[in-house]
Amino acid sequence: MTRNNQKWYDKPISKLILVTIALTWIFPIFGFVLSSFRPGESIKRESWWDAIYTGKLWTELTLANYSEIFFADNLDRSFYNSFAVTIPSTIIPITIAAFAAYAFAFMEFRGKEVLFLFVVGSMIIPLQMSLIPLVQLFKSGIEVFGIPIIPELDLNGTFVATWFAHTGFGLPLATFLLRDFMMGLPKSVIESAKIDGASNMTTFFKLVLPLSVAGIAAFGTFQFLWVYNDFLVANVFLGVYNPENLVVTSHVSQLAVGAYGEAWHLRTSGAIISMIVPLIVFFSLQRFFIRGLIGGAVKG
Amino acid sequence: MKKPLLVSFLLLTLILGACGGGSLEGEEVSITGALIGTDQDGFRAAFEPFMEETGIVVTYQGSDNFEQEIQIQMESGDTPDFALWPQPGAVVDAANRGMLTPLADLDIDLEQYQNDFSAYLVGLGTVDGVIYGGANAANLKSIVWYQPAEFEARGYSVPSTWDEMIALADQIVADGMNPFCFGMYSNGASGWLATDWMEDIMLRTGNGVDSYDQWVNHEIPFNDPVVKNAATLLSQIMHTEGYVVGGTDAIVSTYFGNAQDPMFSKDANGNPGCFMHRQASFITGFWPEGEKAGAGTVTTVFPFPSIDASLPAAALGGGDMWGAFNDRDATKAVAEYMLSAEFYNNVATRPDNARLSAHTGFDTSLYAAPINKILGDTIAAALSANSFRFDASDLMPPEVGAGSFWKEMMNLAVEGPGYIDTALDTIENSWP
Amino acid sequence: MRETTQQEKLMSIGISMLALGIFPLIWFLSQALLFRELTDAISRNLLVVVALIIGSSFIFLLFLGMDKIIKLAPKDNRDALEARMFVGPSLFMISLFLFYPAVRTIYISFKDRYSKDFIGFENYKWAFSDPEMIVTIRNQIIWLFFVVFFVLLIGLVVGWLSDRLNKGEAFFKSIVFLPMAISAVGASAIFKFIYEYRPPPLTQIGIINGIRVSVDRLGAQCMNNRIINGEFNGFDNENCLKPIGWLQQRDMSNLPFAQSLDANNWFNNIVVNLPVNTMLLMLIMIWMFTGFAAVVFSAGIKAIPQEIMEAGQIDGASEIRVFRSIVIPYIKSTIIVVGTYMVVTVLKAFDIIYVSTRGDLETNLLAVKMLDEFSKYRNFGRSATVAVLIFVCVLPIIIGTAIREKENAQS
Repeated sequence: MTRNNQKWYDKPISKLILVTIALTWIFPIFGFVLSSFRPGESIKRESWWDAIYTGKLWTELTLANYSEIFFADNLDRSFYNSFAVTIPSTIIPITIAAFAAYAFAFMEFRGKEVLFLFVVGSMIIPLQMSLIPLVQLFKSGIEVFGIPIIPELDLNGTFVATWFAHTGFGLPLATFLLRDFMMGLPKSVIESAKIDGASNMTTFFKLVLPLSVAGIAAFGTFQFLWVYNDFLVANVFLGVYNPENLVVTSHVSQLAVGAYGEAWHLRTSGAIISMIVPLIVFFSLQRFFIRGLIGGAVKG
Repeated sequence: MKKPLLVSFLLLTLILGACGGGSLEGEEVSITGALIGTDQDGFRAAFEPFMEETGIVVTYQGSDNFEQEIQIQMESGDTPDFALWPQPGAVVDAANRGMLTPLADLDIDLEQYQNDFSAYLVGLGTVDGVIYGGANAANLKSIVWYQPAEFEARGYSVPSTWDEMIALADQIVADGMNPFCFGMYSNGASGWLATDWMEDIMLRTGNGVDSYDQWVNHEIPFNDPVVKNAATLLSQIMHTEGYVVGGTDAIVSTYFGNAQDPMFSKDANGNPGCFMHRQASFITGFWPEGEKAGAGTVTTVFPFPSIDASLPAAALGGGDMWGAFNDRDATKAVAEYMLSAEFYNNVATRPDNARLSAHTGFDTSLYAAPINKILGDTIAAALSANSFRFDASDLMPPEVGAGSFWKEMMNLAVEGPGYIDTALDTIENSWP
Repeated sequence: MRETTQQEKLMSIGISMLALGIFPLIWFLSQALLFRELTDAISRNLLVVVALIIGSSFIFLLFLGMDKIIKLAPKDNRDALEARMFVGPSLFMISLFLFYPAVRTIYISFKDRYSKDFIGFENYKWAFSDPEMIVTIRNQIIWLFFVVFFVLLIGLVVGWLSDRLNKGEAFFKSIVFLPMAISAVGASAIFKFIYEYRPPPLTQIGIINGIRVSVDRLGAQCMNNRIINGEFNGFDNENCLKPIGWLQQRDMSNLPFAQSLDANNWFNNIVVNLPVNTMLLMLIMIWMFTGFAAVVFSAGIKAIPQEIMEAGQIDGASEIRVFRSIVIPYIKSTIIVVGTYMVVTVLKAFDIIYVSTRGDLETNLLAVKMLDEFSKYRNFGRSATVAVLIFVCVLPIIIGTAIREKENAQS
């Protein structure tokens, strides 16, 4: 093998850089996960690396922290609530956004550019800004000059309220990403379908939707993680004064924080329990996720 | 003779049953607040006998985001029946915005309420003469935690005056140890421990309670000599070499909940990290599990020492206050129950409870934890003698009490005694 | 072509109103009311099941229903109607849930504490004169610069290097990508555990302080309370280093190496004044988002035609030059997209600060400050003003995106 043929990236230096970065990235999680299996008093008495060093760690490993959180009252109910909030809150914005993205990508209509800019522009509106008007809307509807456009709803405390709130917050990014993705689909296929006389509805369901699975899955993962990990929206619209309506993240954080002070054994195990579902979703959809992002963000 | 009595008795129970069960049975009353964890369990337990008796379903849900969420709820008009705030200032604020129902409209006997909880506490939840806030729990801040056994072993005696405390501190430093634990980091509220120290000193210098009230109401400026004197005394504790374990770094960096841990950890010679920790009664909830049982025996309190001997003893404290958002019948019933002496019965008997009733008629022998008996009696006595004062930073406008006062105390800890004037001037200028 | 009659016109207006206005409204209300009633009527478990089924499928009824109605319209009008039907719900929801609140916020920013009276530009004067606000704005600028820069840089390096690995590419990318699945709250907890500070006689359990106090120096053995053979080795030695509350350090003045610097040098002055806590908090965000950038970049690099890369290599250009003159220009637009996304994300950054310091000791960011003004200081006018500031910061980006969109459309 001549020197020229040796690819530079097989040189130790680049591997070293990569391994260093990877180790740096995994390292913070390592001590955290380890501590979740140690009794609370031990965590405080001896640092985890000293415990490894002295070998004491292996004798004290325990699942007690996990069972303390996991078998807390009604945690299962909170898990169900989380799903009832998260799954529709993912599907509804994706569906609405997919239709809009199709129109922005393949249809011609007046004001298309302006409307699209409006969608992209609203991406920046901070969530906290719209909470109050939304709670008002879901509580007492909208009146314009005394004429009720939307009647009094009294929706707060129901799942529907969170679905619509999350739909509003997720839509701009969804529309933006999916439209980008659809623009990357071969135009000729869609045009030939139209020439064959297929309606927009048919083209959308039969052709564009199946081709966009990766993009949809990518945003779906995004939205799922965001909704599942959020508890501000859930607390405001669902659970503020009804214990029945707690979602997992909120519940776990209360269990961990509520134990006061230095409850690192509960904080670690609690955080890990609330990470389980996102991690499963993430790893099972990872391939789609990456492909979907590629379709959206990469253009020659 | 016998029959009519029996009949009327039966009738009476029937009527009572109809009133109690018929009209309010199954009604729901929702309460939200900042209490979570064991406090939440305790607060929920307080309603158990009430719910059994009346059939009203009372739900309490706490949140660590409470302050933000209740603001959103109030702005949008979608409120629970009650909110339990950790500061009376927030009750006044909500009342000012027209959100709350006066206690008079809840059919509360106001005179009785004042007798039970003291005119001072009631006054904190009053706006333009109308009472909006319901006093609930109180905590005591004018206390210093110490371990009698450690004191005895070294021949130290409990100080009753400031000078004695300083002499003891110097003695401990001379013995090669650190007298004080002091940690004031607290996410978003860092500095409050130093403001508590300032308040305790203010209650014991100048004109005592009177100058304290003037200070709270901004009738004397924040850089008044009395206040400056208080800051100087505080700086003596914070900045004298060797006084605080870990030095000023530790004061600024230590989470207040961990601050006392050095007292519980002995070095190779069996010496604790510190001997005295001035902190409110609720700190026991933050102690390591193994130490909680020793509250009131192994680790107990002495009163914050007096400074000016001519002033009467005064107690600093804090507490929760609720406000009601409507005057439904069920709401009225719950409000009345929360103001009764029995409300805390079910909470007091819980061994992990760290909350104390603010009701002066509360039977303190019910407290399961020995320390709570001591503290509860002190609070009740101080309230009755009108020498109880509420945490000043909770009563000042939030820009000061939750803003510049906290922040400048952090700066003072870092910068040292030379910064006192700058700190006080900055706070004075920030008063709205 | 025949002329449309009056009657047909009326009919198509009616149908479009029915399809685009009335039907969606009925759809929305029926779903809302159904759930309001169900919430109290049925058991919790059943409710969850119903919610999952209805919540996930009802949305298709909206579009199918609209489509059915539109089919009634005359053929020549259908295309325009269909386009409106496709984008309508999206625009409607964005206007109602995002745009209307934003406008309302701008309006409130000119009013006083309880939004009662107009006070002109008072709140804006406050925003640029209040010392805490100035620190907050400073932090926001630091965050924007450093977080975006390092996410892009490390993302590029990982994307570039892992792409060229013979094996293990997916593994490396997954590791760097993993934090994306962790909430900001979880990530903050993880890093707080690393930065953890406990006052001196106590064992340091955060690894940075742990290492610091374990360094043997000046002849002293520093043990961090290590337990060896059941024997407790305290660290009460005066010569050992003291732990540092990392998230409480506003500058470098507590670090030995900064103390040894010559204070008269302007560069050293900058170094000494670097906000340690803010830098450590930024690390959390960099840790969370680098994987996202890396994956997107690696995909972009994969899309570079092999001939171009090989041509560069045959020319004998060094790899770093290939990277600079071929790779970077080729994926420029991808870098811009990721950079834009990051800028927006940093401006909205909230959870990390909210959970780890709540803005104490000069670590605040605009989004948290906005909330502080709302709930801690209870000043709605100022809160709205901070929100508007966040808005204004993002405006150039939106305009930039708009220009790029136009260029893309023309090319």
